Amino acid sequence: MHLAGQFVRRILQGVVVVLITTFLIFSILRIVPGDPVRLIVGGMAPDNLVEEIAQKMGLRDPIPVQFGRYLSQVVQGDLGNSYQRPKNGMMGQGGDFNANMDVEMAEVSDLILERLPYTLQLAGLALLISLIISFPLGISAGLKPKGFISKIAFFISSVFVSIPNFWLGIVLALFITIKLGLLPSIGYQNFAYTILPAIVLAVETCPFIIRTISVSFAEISQEYFIKSGKVRGLTRNGVIYRHTLRNASIPLLNLLGIQLSTLLGGVIVVEYIFDYPGLGQLTIYAVLQRDFPLIQGIAMVTSALYVGLNIAVDLITYSIDPRLES
Amino acid sequence: MSKKIKFSRRKFMKFMAKSGLGAAALTSAPMLNHNFLYNSAFAASGKPLIFAAAEALTGNWDPTTHTNLGQLIFESYVFGYLTRCPMKPENPTQLNFELATEATEIDKFTLEFKLRDGVTFHNGKPFGAEDVKATYEYGSQPDRPAQWYPGQVDVEVVDRLTVRIKTEKYGYPAGLFYYLSSFLPILSADDVANPNNAASRPNGTGAFKFVEQDGDNTIMEANENFFMGKPKIPRVQYNFVGDTATRTLGLLSGEYNVTERLEPEQVDTIVANGGFALNQAVSTENKYLWFRCSKPPFNDINMRKAVAHAIDREGLLDILGISGTYTGCHVSPVKFGYTDVEGFPEYNPDKCQEYLAKAGFPKGKGLPELEYITSVGFYPKTKEYGEYITALLNEQGIPVKLSVLELGAWGNKLYDREGGGPGHMIDCGWCTGSPEPDLVIRTHFHSSSKRITGIVDADIDAALDKERNAPSVGEREQILKTEVMPLLVDKMPSVPLFGSVFIHAMANDVKDLYIYPNGMMSAETASIG
Repeated sequence: MHLAGQFVRRILQGVVVVLITTFLIFSILRIVPGDPVRLIVGGMAPDNLVEEIAQKMGLRDPIPVQFGRYLSQVVQGDLGNSYQRPKNGMMGQGGDFNANMDVEMAEVSDLILERLPYTLQLAGLALLISLIISFPLGISAGLKPKGFISKIAFFISSVFVSIPNFWLGIVLALFITIKLGLLPSIGYQNFAYTILPAIVLAVETCPFIIRTISVSFAEISQEYFIKSGKVRGLTRNGVIYRHTLRNASIPLLNLLGIQLSTLLGGVIVVEYIFDYPGLGQLTIYAVLQRDFPLIQGIAMVTSALYVGLNIAVDLITYSIDPRLES
Repeated sequence: MSKKIKFSRRKFMKFMAKSGLGAAALTSAPMLNHNFLYNSAFAASGKPLIFAAAEALTGNWDPTTHTNLGQLIFESYVFGYLTRCPMKPENPTQLNFELATEATEIDKFTLEFKLRDGVTFHNGKPFGAEDVKATYEYGSQPDRPAQWYPGQVDVEVVDRLTVRIKTEKYGYPAGLFYYLSSFLPILSADDVANPNNAASRPNGTGAFKFVEQDGDNTIMEANENFFMGKPKIPRVQYNFVGDTATRTLGLLSGEYNVTERLEPEQVDTIVANGGFALNQAVSTENKYLWFRCSKPPFNDINMRKAVAHAIDREGLLDILGISGTYTGCHVSPVKFGYTDVEGFPEYNPDKCQEYLAKAGFPKGKGLPELEYITSVGFYPKTKEYGEYITALLNEQGIPVKLSVLELGAWGNKLYDREGGGPGHMIDCGWCTGSPEPDLVIRTHFHSSSKRITGIVDADIDAALDKERNAPSVGEREQILKTEVMPLLVDKMPSVPLFGSVFIHAMANDVKDLYIYPNGMMSAETASIG
């Protein structure tokens, strides 16, 4: 019962967070330079036409009024239509004059749903690679904090955290794709095109996971119930995997929740570099084109994902350690 | 108590293991292709021609609504033109007949085109004189945004395959359409009658038919009914790839066959890698520093000249490397009427100071901060040479703030508006697929158009009208070289910074793809492998 209460409370908190995030994005878009109407009708359109269309679209109303109108649409499940992308998938670009065009624009929800699976696939694979690298290193480093493996783990973490993702992306594409011909990486035709971008993202994520695992392992290894395990006749592996790992899982779980959410943001640069057709690439083009409804939709969906993931993590940690509920 | 909570630590670990595998299966299953385990990273032969383009398309297929170079390239695949002008350096004004078979100047105001028989549009409609009439009369309307036409035009249909371009009513010679005919795509008369059709899908007579949009990729397939025969390449993809480095990597890895707008250092990488051909040609594009001439301080010719004398164009060419070449007037060296104007204002700080004083701002004193707008992501080295120009102007006491904008925001601010366009100076090139100089100089400097500068100058109008109305091509060329170009240099509504050298890189197995000096392409006889 208590858990259900926590769940409802966290959901309500999450809704507030999503609303605040959406309002912030909504307001910032309307404050920064770059009139979307000018980009819709084109640079050659006269000012009076720009104003006329802006009025019609309600873009000159006060921001709270516009936000209220947007929310009333959203609660009906309508994220609106793109300002720049017609339904046929094409993207527009400013500099021309398209006021007379009568083309049906794509629905934001369709655009997001089309790209989201690619991004989830990329983020999921990146997380998997991170865990494969981080677990052995982190556990070994945590068990012997002053040992050689710990130094290696520290060195790898320091190197990984210092490498800019755009640089690593270009270098890996040049070396692995072009020089060695081992993996494709530019564009997307099948799952193989996800691997190199995922490695770049994993390199970003690994240092945090390695650090968290090694620190929690080092701390828990000092606990009395772990130290006494051997006396109780447990094997070393039994102590590590059945007791230390389980107790170290809570901080790790919290970190994974945050890292997965961070990955959803981190994909922006990586998808752009690799021409990967996910939500990150869509976000960049939407921002460049001042495609307000699309940016707002992406922001709302990603913040909802972020909140959802963290609620799930919280609930799972409550289940593992009921003391945390209080 | 423990019964109330469904999750135990053991259950959690089991659940995590199972759900992790499940999630992995769910997210990857729909897109998983087992071939990845043994596929080569390199694109296999037999794939379509994939062109990685630097510019997105506009979303409106009507060719009269835009000046977007990317879309001009797309149109060169899908639409037909009365003629094509390859603009090769050895013969820049040679015309090849396409939808027309013959052009005859009947008199000063009448140009007759004989049309090719047996051509059909992609929707099956036969091509004929009514399509040329509809296209030219529609495209020349003053409200059409592209404004490629020198003025309005009437077209007389003589018979099913003969048209006469008539300009007497509008007071300029019809001969101007000789070169323009290579740049104006022909629409179907039905689409002109229903402009929404023209806007919503492209329907031309070109070698490739529009198929669909797949995200940011535009897919075309070979037109089986093309009058020259079905092209060898089965499909062409126009892929918008915004990042130059990505375009280079994609080319090197075999994902794209052709790409454009490369930075000099990326060209070096491609050359060093081997296996690729470079198409390097002086283009129809000059890059300019455009002044907002309709508002202070650049409504004063002295200020414009002061800036022109503050810019070291040789220094710019050093920055540009292979991407730029010298230009001596307001049109590119491959345009009709080009000349190296004597007395072109070169870098001269003393002259700059002299003009600043004449403008009432000695050593720049009293000038407000001037905004110089440039873009990144499309033209090569804009930020680098923008910073250089800013430093040169600041050195002369001209207070300039450089605003480097991404392409969308820059396009937003590009054109003139009532009261003067945004900022005081803006960087832009102008690239058209014909040797016709009026596509640049009339578009930008005649008071009826004045796209970016907003200049209204009776002397320039008179000179432009005089060259347009010249009785013969020879006399027109003479007027352009001896009157119009020197006048534009004297009035300096924009500073021609350099001529662009277009660099396309393509895989060695792409054969016979012709790239025009404005980037448009002919792939009807091209092949891969």
